[in-house]
Amino acid sequence: MDFTIRAATPEDCKDISRMIIELSDYEKMADQVKISHEELKRDGFCQNPFYQCLIAEVPEEHKTKDGHVNVGYALFFYTYSTWKGKCVYMEDLYVMPEFRGKGIGKALMSSVAKVGKEQQCARLQLSVLDWNTPSMDFYIARDAQDLTKSEGWHLLRFDGAALDKLAEEAPKK
Amino acid sequence: MDFTIRAATLEDCKDISRMILELAEYEKVSDHVKITQRDLEQDGFSKNPFFHGIIAEVPEQHRSKDGHTKVGYSLYFYTYSSWKGRAVYMEDLYVMPEYRGKGIGKALMSKVAQLGMAAGCNQLNFAVLDWNKASLDFYLSQGCFDVTADMGYHCMRCEGAALENLAQGDS
Repeated sequence: MDFTIRAATPEDCKDISRMIIELSDYEKMADQVKISHEELKRDGFCQNPFYQCLIAEVPEEHKTKDGHVNVGYALFFYTYSTWKGKCVYMEDLYVMPEFRGKGIGKALMSSVAKVGKEQQCARLQLSVLDWNTPSMDFYIARDAQDLTKSEGWHLLRFDGAALDKLAEEAPKK
Repeated sequence: MDFTIRAATLEDCKDISRMILELAEYEKVSDHVKITQRDLEQDGFSKNPFFHGIIAEVPEQHRSKDGHTKVGYSLYFYTYSSWKGRAVYMEDLYVMPEYRGKGIGKALMSKVAQLGMAAGCNQLNFAVLDWNKASLDFYLSQGCFDVTADMGYHCMRCEGAALENLAQGDS
C-alpha cells in the first residue's frame, strides 16, 4: 500500500488528537488524555515548539471507513544527555490497527531517526509498557536496548499536588 | 549553611563540566561522558538552547578544599506529554558530597519545579538507577512516584549502529 510520511501542519492537530486518544485507549489509559487539539496546535506550532510531529498519510482510495487518510503519527522532541549531547525522544508512535503490518510504523520511526541524525543527535529514546509485547518486539527488532532491564533505569515523576508543593518550596530569591 | 540558587551562565560551564564528571563517577560510568565544556557552552547558551542549568553556590568562606564555590547543579529541558502537555525533564541533579544534607539538592529540584510550572508544565520527570537507594529514597520522600514500578514503562534507547540503520531505513 502506498503511503507518505510528511511533517505535520497545524491543520493536522485534530487528527493527531484523535490518534493520541486511540493510542491511549490501546495502552488502556484513555481517561489520562487531558490536552485538546487546540493545545497541541499552540504547543507544536509556536516560535519555539515543544514537539515535532510526522504524519503517515494514505491516498484517498485507501481512506478508513470514517474517511481518514491520516493513519499514523510520530511525535518527538529534542532532549539532552550530559554524557552524549543532543538526543531525540520519540514520545508517541502510532499506526491505526487496519494499517499495521505495511511498514508504516517502521517508516515513521526511521524518519524520526533521520531527522535526529540530521540534528547530530547521538540517541533516539522512547518508552514502552512492559506488557506491550508487540511494541516491545518491534523496538527490540530495531535493536533498541531496554535500559530499565539492562541498567536499572526507572522513570520518576512529580505531578498534581506533589509538583505544586515542590514548586512552592523553591528559594524565593 | 548559606547558599544561593541561580541560573547558570556561560562562565559556569567549566564547573558544570567538572560536576557532570563527578556525578558520572558516582553513577560508576565516568568513561561514558563524551561532551566537553565547549559542547555545553554551544548547546546550552546558543539562540535555541538544548538545555537550561541552575547552579548552587556557597559564599567564599565555605568554598571546597579545591577552592570551588559552585557546589551543585541541575540541568533540565522542556519535553511534551501527548496526554498532559508541557513537561519539564530534570536530566541531572547533583550536590558535591561534602555539601549534602543541607537542603541544597531539594532547593535545586524545587527551583526546576517552579521554573517548569511558570512555563506551563504540569509534570517534572527524571530518571534514577534502581540501585541508587539514597537518591530513590530522597525523591520518593519528596512526593514523586515511580512511573516504571507503578505503570510498567520501560526506558528504551537506539544509538550507534542501531540508530544509523534506523535512520537509513535499513533495520
